[in-house]
Amino acid sequence: MSFREKMHWASLVAILLGFGFYFFTLHTIPHTSHDYYIGLLIGVIGFIIAVMTIAAIIFAIQNSKDAHARADERDRLIHMRGTHLAYYILVLGVWALAFAAHYGHGMFFLLNSMLFVLVLAECIRIGAQLYHYRKGY
Amino acid sequence: MARLPFGNEIKTLRFLSGEMTQGELGERVGVTRQTIAAIEQGKYSPSLEVAFRIARVFEKPLEEVFRWEDAE
Repeated sequence: MSFREKMHWASLVAILLGFGFYFFTLHTIPHTSHDYYIGLLIGVIGFIIAVMTIAAIIFAIQNSKDAHARADERDRLIHMRGTHLAYYILVLGVWALAFAAHYGHGMFFLLNSMLFVLVLAECIRIGAQLYHYRKGY
Repeated sequence: MARLPFGNEIKTLRFLSGEMTQGELGERVGVTRQTIAAIEQGKYSPSLEVAFRIARVFEKPLEEVFRWEDAE
């Protein structure tokens, strides 16, 4: 497994754990102050950055040559494919949120829904890339 | 993923070229070892440029490295 593929796995796991915890908390404790959620969000982002940094260090130590290898045409194609799929999620999310705003949903709901769409798009992007790294392109 | 309509002789040619590794071929062609492995396994269709670069490493015409396998 290449350094890039390992890093994709690390980021997918970190995002699922971090934002999974965030949205689970949001769902189970819905009436806490907004400051609490801002703090929680900063904590989640810090967690993801920490996981990615530690993963990058460990994987680079395991194979430093692979870690320094530049992306080739296959890497770039797989990246574009993942980004292309994620774009559809973002477009659908924007339209859904536009309708939600029109029908009077509050700012807190809209902001967290926007965050959810972003996280979902990111998971689709990374998941698609991992699929193509494994199954081919 | 759909199977590619062409195969290749890269693995054999590597062996005949002093048991060249995938990494060595990748370095000479300008792609990663994983990309060479994916091409060999028919999981990735390389660009025309990379296909020509691979053929040039083995000093073979393109048709001796890649072969069309479709019934048509």
